[in-house]
Order: sequence, then structure tokens, then C-alpha cells
Amino acid sequence: MSKSVDDKQDVIIETRNLTKVYKDFWGRPKVNALESLDLEVRRGEIFGLLGPNGSGKSTTIKLILGLLFPTSGQALVFNKEASDVSKNERIGYLPEESYLYKFLNAEETLDFYGRLFNMSAGRRKQRVRDLIKLIDIEWAKRRQLKEYSKGMTRRIGLAQALINDPELIVLDEPTTGLDPIGTREMKELIVRLRDQGKTILMCSHLLADVQDVCDRIAILHQGELKEMGAVENLLSVRDITQIQAKGLSEEAQQQIRSIIESDQADLVSMENPTTTLEDLFLGIVRDSKARPGYNRKRERDQQEPVAAAETTGASDESVDSEDES
Amino acid sequence: MVVDPSEFISYGEWLANALGGFVVLALVIFVAWTVIAFALTAIRNTPGQAVSIVGGGLKRAIFEDFPRSSLQRTIGMSRLAIQEAIRNKVLIIFALFVVLLLFAGWFLDVQNDHPARLYLGFVISTSTYLLLALAMFVSSFSLPNDIKNKTIYTITTKPVRAHEIFLGRVLGFGAVGTVLLLLMGIVSYVFVVRGLDHSHTIDTASIEWDEETGLGTGFTSVDSHHRHDFLINRNLEGEGPVGVTEVAQGHSHTIFRDGENYVLGPPTGDLLARVPVYGSLRFLDRYGRESEDGGINPGKEWTYREYIEGNTLSTAIWTFEDLSPEMFSTGPGGDEGVLPLELNLRVFRTTKGDIEGKVRGEILLVNPDKALPVRERYSAPIPFEAEEFQTFQINIDYNDIRKQNPDTAELEKVNLFQDLVTKGSLEVHVRCRDHAQFFGMAQADVYIPAPEGSFEMNFFKCYLGIWMQLVLVTSFGVFFSTFLNGIVAMVATLSIVVMGISSGFIGEVQSGENPGGGPIESLIRNITQQGATVELDMGETATSVIQALDSLYLDTMESVANLAPDFPQFNMASKVAYGYDIHLELILKQITTTLVYFTVLLFAGYFVISSREIAA
Ligand SMILES: Nc1ncnc2c1ncn2[C@@H]1O[C@H](COP(=O)(O)OP(=O)(O)O)[C@@H](O)[C@H]1O
Ligand SMILES: [Mg+2]
Repeated sequence: MSKSVDDKQDVIIETRNLTKVYKDFWGRPKVNALESLDLEVRRGEIFGLLGPNGSGKSTTIKLILGLLFPTSGQALVFNKEASDVSKNERIGYLPEESYLYKFLNAEETLDFYGRLFNMSAGRRKQRVRDLIKLIDIEWAKRRQLKEYSKGMTRRIGLAQALINDPELIVLDEPTTGLDPIGTREMKELIVRLRDQGKTILMCSHLLADVQDVCDRIAILHQGELKEMGAVENLLSVRDITQIQAKGLSEEAQQQIRSIIESDQADLVSMENPTTTLEDLFLGIVRDSKARPGYNRKRERDQQEPVAAAETTGASDESVDSEDES
Repeated sequence: MVVDPSEFISYGEWLANALGGFVVLALVIFVAWTVIAFALTAIRNTPGQAVSIVGGGLKRAIFEDFPRSSLQRTIGMSRLAIQEAIRNKVLIIFALFVVLLLFAGWFLDVQNDHPARLYLGFVISTSTYLLLALAMFVSSFSLPNDIKNKTIYTITTKPVRAHEIFLGRVLGFGAVGTVLLLLMGIVSYVFVVRGLDHSHTIDTASIEWDEETGLGTGFTSVDSHHRHDFLINRNLEGEGPVGVTEVAQGHSHTIFRDGENYVLGPPTGDLLARVPVYGSLRFLDRYGRESEDGGINPGKEWTYREYIEGNTLSTAIWTFEDLSPEMFSTGPGGDEGVLPLELNLRVFRTTKGDIEGKVRGEILLVNPDKALPVRERYSAPIPFEAEEFQTFQINIDYNDIRKQNPDTAELEKVNLFQDLVTKGSLEVHVRCRDHAQFFGMAQADVYIPAPEGSFEMNFFKCYLGIWMQLVLVTSFGVFFSTFLNGIVAMVATLSIVVMGISSGFIGEVQSGENPGGGPIESLIRNITQQGATVELDMGETATSVIQALDSLYLDTMESVANLAPDFPQFNMASKVAYGYDIHLELILKQITTTLVYFTVLLFAGYFVISSREIAA
């Protein structure tokens, strides 16, 4: 994973050997929430952390934001230590649940967070108006947040994360609590933000979220990194070719092999079939239950032949893609 | 009223002394923080990393976080605290206060000798307790609630610096408290003034006139549960007062003519801000020689007071400066008038016997001008009797001041300011007449109360004192809440207040003035049923070990208690209630103390918050 100096500037988040062990009051280890995580998030991408509940996604995010201190290893954001407050100028964070002050209304909330960025009164006013419009909450902007529904709270939570027009947006389970339309809108917004050049780190246990919007994903399970790469690479099954054709006669079908070889058919598509993320995901979970400590990615990195046939299903076995470039 | 001896120390001197204490306070906290931070980091990581982490933290504080403080952010945090307090309905406290006052109108003893003191004592202490309790509560629970509700996540992931979180809370709650206190102060003032306001009528027909002098006497009507004797001079012409009533319930009224009738003005003399003229104190020993080491200390009493022995030449001498005839005289030329002397002598008896009886003493007024012949300097003794635990005022009528004529040995009337006062300076000598009895006294125990100063100003200064306590309590509350949960933080804040109040007591045990020794010794005495004043019957070694342990414990306790601000210093209710002007220097000392604690806690709070793992 060596990179040039140019590359370095495009690395927004970098974790090195990041490890977190939650300890009890007496300092005895309680939960190994994250183990030796190495990852990089690059400028302009949507990076997804995927994993079942309790797999360490929120822990990773909190370590990156400096809300938690690593047990060992390091998290760097914009090349600064996670504990450095000044990095926060360029970050927006939507927590797992929108932990906002219930006694403020939407305008007061956004104005308050605007002040924390030292924004001038005029700029704040403008920003608050824009964001309230963006999250479509105009009609309720004077109501105290304690009267808000979960979806509305989520939206105002997102607005507060965007108040400073951040370069890096960190979203912890952005779609939980949203209805299907809300989810759709949230995903579109995330993509739009990426298209504006922002970098997004999000985590979710919902496969569909990640599959739809993320450029690259990392799969966590019980605090361990199981898989990481570009979504299309992770999902393509290389040793199977899927052909879809229209209007082939019986005869032609019998001759399909030769027709393809001679390249004369009306070829609609010819590609590796993709497994669903769900399959991949379940496979990983099954794998690591059966073989604790097993790391698909490491295995792949070492370019060893997959030798899991006797313990895993065929579809898993077939998942084998190149490392992300 | 016991006046803290430290009040006689000027601000400059006090600051020079206190500066050392402040530096120690700051150092103790700084070293404690560094050691704790280092130990915790060393446990979590390696000692080597601990050095770089703790060092890095310090560097960041000095070079990044504090220089990058932002007023805007601090205002933002303060506004949030204000909104939080208001939405938590803290203003209810004000409603509660008003209700308490309304009830107090019925409950307070209307027959009291000094309704003004009662009213003032009530409103001031009610304001103080309500406000401080509220401050303790609000400040201790706010940050822990933020952490519990995780709203703190959206704060610490913004560019807010740790000290701005502390500052915002203290300023915000301070602002709300200030508004509350202002409201309480206004309502209190109105309550006291309105509560005391009353008038009486004089039935003209009932006045008994002395035809010769034209002076009339009688009683006013009974209003507000009392009446006054009065004296009217019917020969006085014009708009001005024609008479005055006697003092009842701590006040009197001026009497004016209204056609054929006489009417009373509003009550006066109950809401005062006298500026007590204090003198400096020195002692003569039992042979009449100037005493180097003050008075005698006959018992194991606390050394606030020193003693003079009865029936010896042992004398306490107060030297008053800057006296002028205008301060006391009523007649022209300083012929008429009284020199009021307030005495608060402690009586100490060595002989059993007439415990109930009074102890006799005498006062001599002495011209401090040593150039004059001794016989010319001394007035004739003015006798008085003192009772235990009694403050009493001796009004020395100018007409009663006599001096012995050296030639004829006759007592002759003298003029106070012409014959005894030199350049505004006068010595007052106090002696005890009774054999084997002692008078104990401190500098503040004899003074001349001069009518001075504005009561309103004094009242305001008193509330300023409450305000500073508010700032202190809020700062401590917020500081403790940076690392303790709400209830524990509140208890810790309460203990600071209690320690601040009781640090004097620990000092007393320490210096052996509270007999019975420290905790271990007292425990043994308790178990073995040995009295507190006899030597401990334990064997020498055991006794000294116990006492060494005790003194170690007390030393520790004392230094901890000394870290707490001296809260009684801020409580000036008795001064206002008793009508003594609050000296500006006292306020200055309080402001300094408050600022120092606030600053130290701000830094301490910064380090705790910034080294705390918020989401753990
Ligand atoms: N503050 C904490 N103290 C102790 N254990 C925690 C704490 N926060 C999370 N954990 C544990 O750490 C593991 C990872 O949690 P988390 O990162 O929240 O998972 P995710 O966000 O992927 O659902 C879980 O087992 C969880 O119970
Ligand atoms: Mg989570």
C-alpha cells in the first residue's frame, strides 16, 4: 500500500492499526470492539463501513472523530491527530441518533451550531435558511425538536452536520429511522454531496444503502476487517460468464458456443454475474463463525487459492476478485 | 458582630499575602492534574507515551487551544446554557422567592425589637440560599446530562475548545443567576422598605406641655405594634422639624408641624450604613508598661481576643484617627453632643462566685499628644459594667467628660475636641476594675459608629457578595461535573462550600484551641471515657504516635480545606442588617478571590474536558 506524495494529499482519513478495547471501571478489558484496523478514505469518494450490529462501525467513527481514544494505533484526519480540535472545522458529523438539544427549535439549533464555527450573523442566517430548505422542514422550523418525529430529527441532524459546508462528512447509520422515501432522498443527497466534491464516510448495517451509494466499502465483523474494496469488484464473480441474448432459435441455442465463438449472435450482455451484497455479507459472517480469525481479504491479498470449499458454500467460494487498485 | 481580623488588613497587604496562597493553589492543581494525567496515561499506554501525550496536551493548550479562543463560540455556548436554564424553568425560583416573602409577611415576628434586622436577615439569607442551591443544582447536572444524552457528541466534534465548554456554562448560568439575583434584590429592597414603612399620629390634646420651656411630651399612637415617646419644642418656627421621637424597634421619626397638629415623618435610623471608625489596638501589661506581645491569654481560648487583667494597670488602648466634631456634635462649637462608643467585650472569670453579676470596668479618654504633661492628658475615668456576650453602647455625653484640675484636684468639665483630641486623634483606654476578672477584646470590639454611607449602596454591595458566591459555586459545580456525574458533582460542590465555611474550625483543632485533639485522639478519649482536657493516659510513645497521626490528618484536611474559598467572607448579611458600611476593600478582596478561583477552575476544567474520552 505504498503511495506517492500526491496520493498522500488525497487521503482524507487514515487509520493505522487502529484498536479499541472498551474497559470497565477497573481498567479490565470488557469488549474488543475494534482490532488493528487499517483503512484509507480518499478525497471525493463515498466510503461505506458495513457490518452487523455491534461490529465496531460506530466505534471506528468515534475514534476517527476523537470522541474515543484508541487503545493502540492511530487515526489521522486531514493528516492531523484525531484528538486535534482544529480538524473539526472541516468535518460534519451525523451521530447514530440525532443527539440534539430538544428544547431548541430547528432554527435555533442550526444557528447554535453555526456559532460554534465562528460564522458571522449574516452567513449563519443564510446557511440556516438554505439548510432548512434542503431538508424540507420549513413548515416546522419554529417547533421545539422534542415535537419532531424520528425522520424529522434525522433530517435536522443532517442539516447540523452540513452547517459548515464541510469537506468530510461522517454519517453514522444515515438512513435508520427514515421511511422508504426518506431513505431514497437521503441516498440521493449523499451522492449529490459526493458530486460536489465532498468526501463521505458512512456506516450502515443496511446492505441496500451501501450497495446503492458507496464507491468503496469495508466489511467489519466483530471488530475485524473482513473485506474491503470497490463495490463492483467485490460483487463480481469472475469465473462465471453470464450471457443474455434475445431471439435465438432453438437451433441457434444449440450452437450457442460456436455462435459466440464466431461472434455473430446478437449479444445483449456478456459479463460476470454479480452476487448480491447480501450473499457476500452472509457468506462472510458464516465464514468467520466457522473459522474465527479467518480473513477473506488477507487471504485474497496473499493470492492464495481459495481453499474453503469444504466449509463454505459454493457462492462464497466463487467470490474472488482482484484487490482494489 | 465578630469582625474578621483580616478585614483590618489593607487590600495591598492582603494581596501580597494572598498571592502566595494563590500561586500554591494553582501549583497544587496543576501538579495534581499532571500527576493524575501521567499516571492514567502510563497505565493505559507506556510511561514513554505518557510523557509525550501529557506533554503534547500541555503544548496544545498553550499554543493552540487558548490562543484560538473565540468569543462567538463562547457566546454560543453561553446562550445554550441560558436557554437550557430557562427551558428548565429555573425562573420558578423567583416565583418561589416571592411566595416566601409573601408568607414571611405573616410569619416574621412583628414584635421584634429590630424588625429591620429581622427583615434584612431574612431576605438576604433567603436570596442567598435559594440562588446558591439553584446554581449548585443547575451547574452540576448540565454537563453530565449532555454526556448522558450524548448531545455532547455534536459539540466536541465542532471546533469548540474545551475551555469554551466550561466558560459557556459558567457565563450562561451566571447570567441567568444574575438576572434572578437582580430581581430578588429589587423585590427584597421593596419588601424591607415597605415592610418597615409606617407612621403614627399624635393626638394634640394629649401632649403635656411644660409652659416654662415650651417643650411638650407624650406618646404617639400604636402602629405596627409599637409606639414612641416624643419631645416637641413648640417655640421652633418655620418648616423644619420641631421634635423627634424616642427610638423604638430600632427607629425613630422626626416630627413636623402641620397647622395646629403635629405629624411624623417616615421611620429613620433602621436602615443605616454606618462607617464604624475603628482604632488601632495596643496593650499595657499589669504594671502599666507597653506590652510587646499584646494582651494576656488566660485560658485556652481562641486567640481572636486578647485579655486584660482586672484591678491591675493592664490596659487596652485604642487610638482613633481622623475624628472631627461634625461627626458627633449636635450643638454649635462642638459643645453639645455625644461620643458614641460601641463595646463588645468578652468577660472571662477566674474566680467562681457571682457568675451572674456584671464585671466593672472604666474608660479613660486620653490625649495622644505625648508633649503635654501627663496629668493634662487624661480624662477622669468613666465607669461601665459589662456582661458576658453583650454588645453595648456607651454614649459619652460631652457634658460628662471631666478632667482633674492638677492644682485644685477638682473635676472640671472639658471640651472633648479642644482638650483631648489632637489632630483628630484620640486614645480610648479600657481597664477592668474587678480583681481576678478579665476583659477580652479584639481590634473590632471597640469602635465609634458614625452615621454615614448610603444604605442602598450597602445593600447593593451585599448582593454583589451573593453574586460572587454565585460565580464561585457555578464554577465549582461545572468543574466537578466535567468528571463526576450530576449528583456526585453536586455533593462535591456542596462540600467545597462546607469546607470553605469550616476551614476555620479545622485550624482551631490544629492549633490546640479546640481541646480533645484530632479525630484519633478524640475517638480514644471517647472509647476510654477520658475527658477532653486531661492528658491522654496512654503511655508516652503511644500518645505521641497518636498525636503525630492526628496532626498529619489535620494537616492534610487543613490544606484541603484551605483550597476551598472562604465563603463566610462573602456573606455580608450581618453588616447590612446591623447597619455597618461594607468597606470597599473587602469587596476588592472578594473580587480578587473570585477571579482567582474562576481562572484556576477554568484551566482545570479545560484539562479535564480535553483529556476526557467523551464517548467511553
Ligand atoms: N461505551 C462502550 N462501552 C463498552 N462497550 C461498548 C461501548 N460502545 C460500544 N461497545 C461495544 O463495542 C462493540 C462495537 O460497538 P459499536 O461500534 O457501537 O457497533 P456498531 O456501530 O457496529 O453497531 C459492541 O459489542 C458494543 O457492545
Ligand atoms: Mg453503531
